[in-house]
Parts: sequence; structure tokens; C-alpha cells
Amino acid sequence: MFPPYLRAHRTSFMNNHAENPDGPTPSSGNDQDLLPILNQPTTRRTALKAVGAALGLAAFGKAISPLASIPENVSVDEFLQQHYKELSDDDKERIFARLEQETKESYGADVTISDHRPIPGVRFAYAINLSKCNGNGKCMEACHLENNHHRGVDQSYIRVLELPKGTLDMEEGNTTFDHTVPQEDKFYMPVQCQQCDNPPCVTVCPVEATWKEDDGIVVVDYNWCIGCRYCEAACPYHARRFNWEQPEIPAEEVNPDQGYLSNRVRPQGTMEKCHFCLHRTREGRLPACLEACPTGARVFGDLNDPDSPINYVLQNKRVFVLKEELGTRPSFFYFFD
Amino acid sequence: MALIVVIVECPTQCRVVTKALSDMSRNFSSSNPNPARGGIRVTGFARLSLVILTLVAITSLAFAALAPFSSPSEPVATERKREARFAVEIHKPDSPPLVEIGLNDENGNPITATCATCHANREPDPSVRTVEDLKSFHRELVIDHGKLSCFSCHNSADYSSLKLADGTRVEFTEVMQLCAQCHGPQMKDYENGVHGGMVGHWDLSRGPQQKNNCVDCHRPHAPQFPRMIPTFKPDDRFLDKHVPPVPESAPDLIHE
Amino acid sequence: MSSASSQQVAETERLHPIRSYPRFLWWGIGEATNGNLLFYTWMFVLTAVALVGANAWAVQVSSGMIVTNMTDHVSWGLYIANFTFMVGVAAGGVMMVIPAYLYHDRKMHDVVIIGEILAIAAIVMCLLFVVVDLGRPERFWHLIPGIGRFNWPMSMLTWDVIVLNGYLLLNLHICGYLLYMRFLNRQPNPRWYVPFVLVSIFWAISIHTVTAFLYCGLGGRPFWNTALLAPRFLASAFVAGPAFILILFSILKNIVGTRMDEAPARLLINIIRVTIIVNLVMVASEIFTEFYTGGAHTASARYLFLGLHGHNALVPWIWTAMTFNIVAAVLFLSPLPFRSERVLLLACVLAFVGAWIEKGMGLIVPGFIPSTLHEIVEYTPSLVEWKVSVGIWAFGLMVLTILLKLAISVYRLKPLVPAETPEPE
Repeated sequence: MFPPYLRAHRTSFMNNHAENPDGPTPSSGNDQDLLPILNQPTTRRTALKAVGAALGLAAFGKAISPLASIPENVSVDEFLQQHYKELSDDDKERIFARLEQETKESYGADVTISDHRPIPGVRFAYAINLSKCNGNGKCMEACHLENNHHRGVDQSYIRVLELPKGTLDMEEGNTTFDHTVPQEDKFYMPVQCQQCDNPPCVTVCPVEATWKEDDGIVVVDYNWCIGCRYCEAACPYHARRFNWEQPEIPAEEVNPDQGYLSNRVRPQGTMEKCHFCLHRTREGRLPACLEACPTGARVFGDLNDPDSPINYVLQNKRVFVLKEELGTRPSFFYFFD
Repeated sequence: MALIVVIVECPTQCRVVTKALSDMSRNFSSSNPNPARGGIRVTGFARLSLVILTLVAITSLAFAALAPFSSPSEPVATERKREARFAVEIHKPDSPPLVEIGLNDENGNPITATCATCHANREPDPSVRTVEDLKSFHRELVIDHGKLSCFSCHNSADYSSLKLADGTRVEFTEVMQLCAQCHGPQMKDYENGVHGGMVGHWDLSRGPQQKNNCVDCHRPHAPQFPRMIPTFKPDDRFLDKHVPPVPESAPDLIHE
Repeated sequence: MSSASSQQVAETERLHPIRSYPRFLWWGIGEATNGNLLFYTWMFVLTAVALVGANAWAVQVSSGMIVTNMTDHVSWGLYIANFTFMVGVAAGGVMMVIPAYLYHDRKMHDVVIIGEILAIAAIVMCLLFVVVDLGRPERFWHLIPGIGRFNWPMSMLTWDVIVLNGYLLLNLHICGYLLYMRFLNRQPNPRWYVPFVLVSIFWAISIHTVTAFLYCGLGGRPFWNTALLAPRFLASAFVAGPAFILILFSILKNIVGTRMDEAPARLLINIIRVTIIVNLVMVASEIFTEFYTGGAHTASARYLFLGLHGHNALVPWIWTAMTFNIVAAVLFLSPLPFRSERVLLLACVLAFVGAWIEKGMGLIVPGFIPSTLHEIVEYTPSLVEWKVSVGIWAFGLMVLTILLKLAISVYRLKPLVPAETPEPE
């Protein structure tokens, strides 16, 4: 009737010699006792179990009580906020007003948050002249100030590598150099988001919180990111930064000119990255790191404009991209004079 | 615990496959518009609406054929050509330079003079090529500019100006012409926006751009870019910091 | 015969008043929470540890992940390492299902439920480890297809969400159904579980393959970017899973006093004998490729095994793991485990701990060291990370204990109606 392997269930090795003293042994097939298992008299043990469960729950409530501070940081509106691409203009207006209000409350600064959209037909690219860069780090500092970075860790989207002449192997590099620059036997290579055309960070994001916009900039919706840091693991350029804690910025240092997808103060627990200062560049202005560069090593422009400086570099200089073998197709180029 | 039940239904798959395909076929140099999130739906409802759509299309085609004077379709939105309506402003030296004469006024401030103040009544000495040849004045100058001599650039006929290699007079404010004689490749880069610092707008249809002059970054007598001390370093947790931090008063630029 | 069977069913139904699955579960929870002093002490300790973990997690959520020792350089740490390992343990449970259902090994049928219960507990732990790793856990709903934006099929993490939750549901169904039928003293209908069991076999392999793809799909991390990663994961999973089940058998036999058949244990030992060698061979070929080829891509491997530029935090870990794995392999290959239960236990513990280190400190962490810009930032888990991780382990063990007790309670029930084969008493 049953396949033999099913019958195996019958011969259980799990049967114990000793009967469980409290266990229900529904051996009395009594008609009155319809629920011999559920209708047991409330034993002392059951009561104790209930007390234990209640104590356990209370202890659990106490254990997670630090979460009570969260409602200050996470409003219901923020919790229910939709993905950036699904927001209507009215939604955005409301959300930006709320974020401005929150910045005022938390940082004491009056800021304006705007929604900068790509300029039609423009595609941004960046180039750095490694013959000129002398590793002075002004770009890092400008980024730090422009983009409302966490003051505590001197956060910046740029890292400048000091490499010995004769190699491009980053293994030989150093970012913590702290001496007069440039050293005779060294050259310097700033690395920031390469705004890849095939961005691994966008591919891996499980919630589409990061994406590539039409002008080539890879952006993050800080209010949609769940903080899994998969993009940080995927990025080959160390371009992504995580907000390990709520950023601290003195009120007078907060840059009030803010973009929703760019330099507004990021929430704790979310990912951020270089966005080519889109709140500036989408208004036609130059990125902060370029303006700060005292050596003029930085070149920025529109790839779709044949007369742009960036196209001049591509056509007249010998350029290379970092880690080309990974197929990320950066919009960020390096060249030597 | 986040128990996430996934309902994989046919339309979802189709949408997703469409998205994947369009992702793969994305051309890297073109500005890639995001693929529509819609996609093919193959439910019964979709089939019904497809039939209705086809009917509507056929009907409208018939109407279009019957209406020869129908209004022309909307012109395709063409890319707005960005015209350079703003200028690239190149910073210029205010005036010919003033030289400290080595004396102080009653307030203790150094007295300065224009070149012509002294040189108007001094005969130029063509034999002077370097600082070492000078007997008085300017001996503190550090000159490290190839094999140039004073009169390669300074105009002995008019010390309030400079001169090109062919002897043409050039104002101090137009010094870039002088530099460009030898530094052609740099000038070419400069003119194409690839040399020299700048601020302002990359998009000249939206605003002007201000660029440095040669002598803003390069000292004419010793033009190599000065060495610097970095004042800003990454301060990540656990990062090795072998060298003690720079004192706050450290000079930024070091002229040697 | 069939009329006898239907009579039997009718009789059972008359005698068994619990006829709904929720009621059965409620009864099961009541049963599973009965026990002796040892049981209550065990559960009390686990609860206390889990609460410490919950508290540490709450602190982490409110003050930010700054309380962990993860950095922008080493952005995944103890949580993801444990997650990866537990996926392996969950997948390892399937090694009992394959012989039982694919090869119709009767003796394995009753122990198969242990493997599946282990898989449930391990998956619950996996999901918890992922949740505690999130910077914004309250936004988990962004992952729910339909409500959020689920980047499927591009993101491997979305595949992982699907396969892990799917595996959890599959095992919950199979375990629940088989136990419920057993409880009702009914023969389970193969239609209602055999297809699920077959699916779960492939699914188990997929959970670990997909988890390996999470890492080996990242071109920017050469240490992970190897095709051997998924097979290695599977091999080590098929060591760690059966090893843990063997330890469980021993606990059930010696502490709980459940009578065990020898055959399943023998089979598991034989499975480990094969997989532990396969794992070592793959590790060796990875090491060869890395060190013989040389170049910048071997930096992580050099850091892991030898230390790099004076940094060597992981060197003791990996050599401990290697020693454990090799000693365990030698022990398993010798006839000793069949003779001495102590040796067997030692070998299992060595294999289990070895696999844990290899997956965590030996695989996840060195993938980040040196960073993609070849900066070296070392990582040692913070106290909060240890608390949270141990808390999740405690919670997982609680789930495992409760489910095992439930299963044992069901199996201990005296059948009301004599079955075809009389129960050996």
C-alpha cells in the first residue's frame, strides 16, 4: 500500500524508553475528553511557563530600549517615503521642506535643498593630469567642505595616492603621506568615483537605491538606501563611503546650497559617494575639487561637446583609466603631459 | 525577522528579462535613458488590451487617411545648442610690478618704486646676464628659468614694459604673450582649458569662467611650481598614521 | 487493505481531537517547552545571551554602526562572515536528504528531519545576521517585491533573499507536514512532500552557490573573484553541516537519551571523508594559483597567510583553521571515528570550527585587505559585534532546541492505533 521507504517512518529510532511524565499520552480515547491535550488542567508548570515568557518579553523590551531614541531621527514620513524616481513634484517639495526643517533642528543651519536634474544632452567626464598633480590635497579639503562631510573623520570623496615613479601598482602607494610635496621620487594620483558606464555598485544594489543618471553621474537616494554596503564591496575604486554615525558639522560650516541627490547632510547608516558636485555642475558650474586645485591638474567637461576641454584631453593626450581590465568603463581619465 | 515571501509571477519575469536585456545592450557612449520599467505582459488581460489597442490603432489610421489636412505632428525636441554667451575671463596683473628699494618710510613701511623710477636714468648694460653680474640691486633675486638672461624678457628700451623675442614691446599685463613664445604646448593646453587653474562655470552658456594668468602660479624668475605641505589628510579609523600630524601653523606653499 | 486503511484513519480521527495545524503547533510549543532542570537552565542561559545580543543590536541601531569595528575599508565583518558560514550549515543539512530520498536509504528517513530542522535554525540565523548588518534595518521593506524596488535579477543579493527565504519556507513545509502526519499517525502523502524534498535538494545547493556568487561576482576584489569559490563553499558546507549533525547526534544520545541508529552516523562520516578532502584539494589549488603566479592580485592571500607590510592580524587565524582542517581530515580518514566517539566528536568540532574560521576570518575579511586602493586597514570585531553575533547564535540554538524537542515529542507519542508494523518497545 505504501512504498517501503515511507513505511520506515514507523520504525522510529527516536522513541525513548522513558515516557515523558508531563507529556500528553492520548491513550484514553474518552469521548467526554474531546481535547485531552489542550484541556489539561492548568498545572503549576504551565503557569510558570507563562510567567517565564512574560519575564522574557519584558527583558526583551528592556534590551531593545535603546531603539526608543529612533523616533527622533526617523519620522513616519521618512519611513514611508518612496523611491526618488517615484516622487511627484509635490512629494519632492514636501520632502525637501521636511529635510530642510530637520537640518535646521539638528544642525542649526538654514539650508536650501533643491532637485537638480541632468542637463539634456550633457555627459560629464573628468580628467586629471598626473604630471601636474603634486598631492597637496586641496581637492580633498574642498570636497570635505563643499559636501557637508562628517567633520570627525575628515571625510572626503577623494583619496590621493603617493606612488613611486616607475610604477602604477597601487600596492606601492600610500595615502597617509605627510611631508612636503611633491617628493622627487614620487608622483601623485587622486582617486574618486570614476562614474563608470558599467558601474558594479549599481548592479549589485538590491533595492535600486543607486543608479546612473543621463549625464553619467551615479547617484544615491540616501533616503532609500538600506545600508547593506554591498556597493562598497563591489566598487573597485574605494569610491563609496558609509555613514557609520550621524555626521557632525558645526552650524556655521554647513554648506547651505544643497541638492537632494548630492551634498545634503546624509543620514546615519546610508551610503554616499562623489557625485561630481551635481548641485554645481548641473547649474553649469565647475566642481569644488577642480576650483580648489592649485596646480590646475583637473579638467572637467561635457563629453558630448566636441570642443570641451575633456575632449581636447582625450584627443591630444595619452589617457588611461584605472583598472580598465575590470570593464567598468570609467568616465574618469588620467593623463600625463 | 524579515521574512520575505517572493511571488514570482510571469509578468515580473518578463519585465525583469526585458530590463536585463536592455541593460546588456546599453551603448556606453550614448546617454542611456533608463529602460522603461514596464515591459511585456502576457496575461489574459494584457492580450485583451492588445486586441483593443490594435483596433484603436487601425481606426485612427483610417481616420488619418481620411483627414488630409490634419495638423503636422509636434516637432521632435532637438538638443538645445549651448552657445557660449559668457566669456572666459583671464586674470591680468594690475600694473607693472613695484620693487622695494630697501628703504622704509616714516611709518616703517617699505618704499616701493616702479622699474622706470630707477632705470630711467641708468644706462642698460647688455653684458649683464645673470644675478651674479649685478653689482647693486636685485642681487637677492633667485633666478631659475633656463638660460634666459634679464634682457630676454625685460625691455631695456622701456623698463615699464616687457619685450618679445623679436623686440616687440609687451605690457606687463599681457605677460602671457611673452611666456607663450617658448611654452607653446602649455599655451595650447591653456587655451583649451587644460592648463591653469580656473573657477566659475564649465558651461559658458550659463555663466563666465575666471582663469589664472601664467604668473599667478609661476614666478617669472623661477617658474617651477612651489612645493607644498598638505594640510588635509584622510583620518579614517584604524588607518596607519606613521608620521605625526602637521602643526597647524605650517606654511602651505614653500618657495625654495 | 485499503478499506482497513480508511478504517484506521477514521479511528485515528476519532481519537485524535487536534485536527488543525495551528493547534498542532500550539501543542508542539507546549510540549517543546516542557523539560527537566537541565533544559530550563540551557534555555535560560540562551535567553540571557540572546537578550545581551538584542541589547547590543539596539545600541548599534541607535548610535550607528560606528560601534562596530567595520570601516570603509573593511565594510563587512563578523556578521557577514557568520552569515556565509550559516548558509553553509543550512545547505549542509541537505547531505542527509540526498541519501534518504534520492537513494531511498530507509535508515536516513528519520534523521532527515534533524537535518531539516538544523537548516531552519541556520536560515533563521542567516536572516538575522543580514538584518543586523543593515545600516537602516527599518527600511527592509524596500526589499519586498511590489512594495519596494527589488533589483532582480541584476543584484545577487536579491537572489540570495529569494533562495534563503524560499529554503526556509520549503523546510518549514516539509518538517511541519511530516511531523503533523506523524502526529496524526497518518502516512504522509508523497505528493505533498516528495516534490518539495526534491526541490529542496537543489535549492540547498543553490543557496550556497548564490551566496558564493555574492562575492565571486565582484571584479574589484581579486581574492573573491575566482570560479572556485562556489565549489569551495559547497565542499566546506558539506563538511560543516554533517559535522554539526554528528555533534547533535551525540548530544541527543548522551544527554537527551534518545536511542540512535548507527547507520546514519556512519553515512555522515563517510560523506565528510570525501568532502573534507575535496575542500582541502580546492584550498590547495587556490593557494598554488595565488602564490605561484604572484603579482598584485595575491596581496590578500599574502596578507592572510604570511602578513603584508608588517600587518598580520589574520595569520594566526588562518593557520589555526588550516591546522584544524588538516587534523580533522586525518582523523576522519583514519578508522578511529568509528571506534571512539570521543575522536569522532573531536574531529567534528575541529572540522566545524575550522570551516567557521575559513569562511569568516579566512574569506570575508581578507577580501577587504588590502582595500581596492591597496591601503591596509586591519579588522578585529568589536565587543558589540561579538555580543550581537553570540546573541544570534544563542537565538539559533534556541530555535534548534525547540524544534528538536517538538520533533522528539511527536516521535515519542504512542501511536493510538496499531500501525502495520508494531512499534518496537
